[in-house]
Amino acid sequence: MDPMFSPALHRQRHEFVIDFVRSYKPKKVVDLGCSECSLLKQLKFHLEIELLAGVDIDGAILKKKMCGLAPLSTDYLQPRNDQLRIDLYQGSVTQKDARLIGFDLVTSIELIEHLTLADVKLFSEVVFGYMTPVAVIVSTPNADFNPLFRRMSGFRHSDHKFEWSRAEFKSWALKVCLDYGYEVEFSGVGQAPPGYQENVGFCSQIGVFHRLGVSEVCNTLCSTDAEDVSSYTLLYSKIFPSLRDNNILRRVLASEVLYWAEKLGRRWVEEKTGVKDDADTPDQAGGDGEERHRAPENPLQLEEKQTAACGAAMKSLVEHQEVGKLDRELFWTDGGGQQESRKLGRRRRSRFRGQWVCRRHAVPPQC
Amino acid sequence: MSGRARARSRGRARGQETAAPGMVRPVSREKNVFVAEYTQIGCDELFFLTAVLQISAGFQQVKLGERGGRRRDFNDVGINTRRAMEHVKDSKLGTSGSPIPLTANFFRIMSRPEWVLYQYHVDFNPPMEARRLRSALLYQHKDVLGPADSFDGALLFLPNRLAQKETVLHSETRNGEKVQITVTMTNELPPTSPVCIQFYNILFRRILRILDMQQIGRNYYNPNDPLDIPKHSLTIWPGYTTTILKYETSIMLCTDVSHKVLRSETVLDFMANLRQKCGNQRFPEICAKELVGLIVLTKYNNKTYRIDEIAWDHTPNNTFTRGDKDISFKDYYKMQYNLDIVDVNQVLLVSQVKRLGPATAPPPGPAMLIPELCFLTGLTDKMRADYMIMKDLSTHTRLDPMAREGRLNRFVRNIHKNPDARAELDKWGLSFDKQLLSLTGRVLPAERLFQGSRSYDYRPSEAEWSREMRGLPLISAPPLENWLFLTTRRTSTEAQALLQSLNRVSGPLNIRIQRPVMIEYEDHQESLLRTLQQNVGPQTQMVVVVLPSNRKDKYDSVKKYLCVDCPTPSQCVVGRTLSKPSSLMTVATKIALQLACKMGGELWSVEIPLKQLMIVGIDCYHDTVAGKRSIGALVASLNQGMTRWFSKCVFQHRGQEIMDGLKMALCAALKDYLKFNNYLPSRIIVYRDGVGDGQLHSVVNYEVAQIIESIKSMGHDYVPRLSVVVVKKRINSRFFAQMDGKVSNPPPGTVVDSEVTRPEWYDFYIVSQAVRSGSVSPTHYNVVYDTSGLKPDHMQRLTYKLCHMYYNWQGIVRVPAPCQYAHKLAFLVGQSIHREPNVKLDELLFYL
Repeated sequence: MDPMFSPALHRQRHEFVIDFVRSYKPKKVVDLGCSECSLLKQLKFHLEIELLAGVDIDGAILKKKMCGLAPLSTDYLQPRNDQLRIDLYQGSVTQKDARLIGFDLVTSIELIEHLTLADVKLFSEVVFGYMTPVAVIVSTPNADFNPLFRRMSGFRHSDHKFEWSRAEFKSWALKVCLDYGYEVEFSGVGQAPPGYQENVGFCSQIGVFHRLGVSEVCNTLCSTDAEDVSSYTLLYSKIFPSLRDNNILRRVLASEVLYWAEKLGRRWVEEKTGVKDDADTPDQAGGDGEERHRAPENPLQLEEKQTAACGAAMKSLVEHQEVGKLDRELFWTDGGGQQESRKLGRRRRSRFRGQWVCRRHAVPPQC
Repeated sequence: MSGRARARSRGRARGQETAAPGMVRPVSREKNVFVAEYTQIGCDELFFLTAVLQISAGFQQVKLGERGGRRRDFNDVGINTRRAMEHVKDSKLGTSGSPIPLTANFFRIMSRPEWVLYQYHVDFNPPMEARRLRSALLYQHKDVLGPADSFDGALLFLPNRLAQKETVLHSETRNGEKVQITVTMTNELPPTSPVCIQFYNILFRRILRILDMQQIGRNYYNPNDPLDIPKHSLTIWPGYTTTILKYETSIMLCTDVSHKVLRSETVLDFMANLRQKCGNQRFPEICAKELVGLIVLTKYNNKTYRIDEIAWDHTPNNTFTRGDKDISFKDYYKMQYNLDIVDVNQVLLVSQVKRLGPATAPPPGPAMLIPELCFLTGLTDKMRADYMIMKDLSTHTRLDPMAREGRLNRFVRNIHKNPDARAELDKWGLSFDKQLLSLTGRVLPAERLFQGSRSYDYRPSEAEWSREMRGLPLISAPPLENWLFLTTRRTSTEAQALLQSLNRVSGPLNIRIQRPVMIEYEDHQESLLRTLQQNVGPQTQMVVVVLPSNRKDKYDSVKKYLCVDCPTPSQCVVGRTLSKPSSLMTVATKIALQLACKMGGELWSVEIPLKQLMIVGIDCYHDTVAGKRSIGALVASLNQGMTRWFSKCVFQHRGQEIMDGLKMALCAALKDYLKFNNYLPSRIIVYRDGVGDGQLHSVVNYEVAQIIESIKSMGHDYVPRLSVVVVKKRINSRFFAQMDGKVSNPPPGTVVDSEVTRPEWYDFYIVSQAVRSGSVSPTHYNVVYDTSGLKPDHMQRLTYKLCHMYYNWQGIVRVPAPCQYAHKLAFLVGQSIHREPNVKLDELLFYL
């Protein structure tokens, strides 16, 4: 919309939030007025977040956009370590809902200017007084900046009820801090052209609120407001696949262990017999030197388990070897190795080759 | 025809479209102009029906595109070939055979009686620019419009009729501006209209999303219930293919079980493993061979990409231009998706992005992908060739009819059970049948096979006659007098055993085999080639080579030399096949039969009542590795008994139709037929295989004309009767029979020509083969052009008869023999020879 900013202003606002998330690592984040969910879409990539919520008054737009927040195919292939739940609510920020109490971060990006001043008051009460998050980010247009837009009269958007100057925003913010026990830092995105910055400030002004005395107040506040209000409608709730889910953990662990056991076993056979695969898969270049971990981002303990399991697998293999040739043969068939040694696994191998030949000579009925 | 359609008709496999001929590829690697893909498909955007609707009475090609994209017509809707054929206008049903009750994997879609989708045009006064605002304004009138609607900013679809033709509504924007909205009804779409059917499909995809399914490619899969095969680090997701179409009598959902094979490792892991296995030196070559053509999923969006090449000179530290700044891939992914790229030395993958959006937009450049962030899907060729992997996979994916039917029923039950899905359907007044569709098919009588004066029947349930033909003399087999027998020292015992068995089995088959010239060769490719060059002369009738292993290079060099440079039929045998004494006689019999037909022998025949008939089979092979060439093969019958065949194959060059080359081949076939019989055929039936989804259009509009033209070139007064039949093996339709109270495969010879066929086509299904495990898949035949006047019944019978005539299998195959021959020829040329075989081999089945 504003070619004078690069990257675009809305993107800069999102980046501001994301930078905040990066440095403060909140676990529970709610975006008020999430609308098309574009901020949520970006935030779901931040693995430290465990609960992501969005609230908007327009349920229809949420319904249209909510599918975009669903887990990706690859989220199932490589589940995240920590859980993540995404909830979308339809509701008004002027009303209270107990489900939104106790968040680490509440963002309200370009929202308050769409409310009447009376509603802004309610908003302050709900967000700072009722939801009592650890931090709040509020962004709103800066009216001081407006003269720089030539050919613009009135507000930046037809639905804006007001646009505050820096002073107005500041007085509202300070009052909020006083009333509800927060401190605020002022910032913004959208730099004015050189020379103007002093006079007009940022295009979007942002207030970052931190609750005072976080540690001790938390519990008392939550418990006093225990009345179970739920004025919002839950439209969408999705739990992402994660290793916190026992079934998934078991599955991932089992397949990791089996994979490594298989791999170690194959290598063991190679070392034992001193024979490598035939030309299709020629010699191992660096030996075992640069063994790679398949899932570098898995938690440490998982890796430990892996190696432990591998050791166990190794041990059992050695035992097998002592039992005798039969087991070796058994092992062979699984490994699918194609060594030229004639003694081992001959029977199986010939079947394998036989299949290939049959295909060339006679076409079996296709199925 | 559009360039896109042309590319399709050339027979490109799905998802590997190349640029249209003459189009310059926008690869500007020096400038680093890359598309960094970052948007995730919002599924529900599909729901916006943007379309320039061109609705007319007939089945015109109506497109109801999704927003911003162009949808390919995979179902070949809008091609009405039946109306041009007088003799099937009223009925395309066959008559012969015994009726059999069947069920099919189809579910009827039921709508309220006189259900109509109403299409409205919406006008705003004063005009509103923003689409979001438009829908917001319209949403204020939910009470008038009802709960269900689909609005894209201009067109509104509703399941109910508004009271007046023109409804005027008044809305107010948030800042008090009054807006008048006029909703005018423009169309009533009956349930069978193409727009409605596309609408159903969109709705159904939505329901699949509600059921928590993930879309990969065209189908939906269930990620919550994966099957892991850790041995090969594979994961299988069960899923379904779904299509809703207007079939013969009603609109139905055709759904089949599908499985997606995914890799639980990233491309980077895969590359590291590969490097470890094959060493640094050969790594680039092998890696490119393995990866190019594979489809990957990414960690940051739900798109799939096809790997087209590997950018060996790029790493995540390279930059691309985003907006007006340069940014490195590493920083971009960190900033945009909070994804850390650990290995900064990895090379990048290149994927040519297909052009979407308006045709006027500049084509996007290639997308660069980070191996660390990509997951592989599907199987590589190497894995496909690995018997162990395929065996492990098939235990999970091959479903017998009982299991398949059970899964389909469960799927539809789940839809019925899920409240959200039901609500979505109810909103639109639609519902699905709870039962699989029941219909009646016919089982054609088993054919009688003739070998000279002798004839015999086979057991219909087995569709195979290797036992019955034991000890019967073949129709004819040229005596094998001057032939070479090559073996290595290592395989000499097996070779001797084969030779003895050949002598034993050839007597009863009436193949006269003289002693061959035995030659021992060193186990090297060069030595083998040298031995061939020194010993194969013009008199040599046949070369048999016993290979010590199944290494492809030796096989290739034998075939290359003996098919191109020194045209001689040849037979390769891998030593290991012969090592088992118990199966040696069976193997020797098969080899003896193969030797006989490679030299022009005739094994068996079925009764074909039509006289002066030429059957033509066409298939293609797509060589994805070697420069993406395609090979077309044409095989045409030369005699009445369909026992001698003329074969020709052509390479499709860039920017050329596969039929352009095959035109010449067809002319050559006709000339050869004339030489063979002293007359030209009065009927020609062409079976065209290798037509992909959505390519029918170009066969109908282009290839048929080409075929007619090449027939015309034989002389002005030569006007034979012509039929063109499109053969399709890869289809989603399945049939189940009830046998002894159990769900089982329909018996071979089952024909289905009602209910599940398409009203606008002259088409039928035949289950010709028998399978031992899994569900049988029927073959779909679509007669797109027919001046023969053959009754549908005769067409079906003839097609079924031809499935008996494939000499490399003593049984019935899935497709008519000429198609299978053409497939075999194209495959051999594409895989091994890579050049046009010598013309001297044209009349022999040398490629079996």
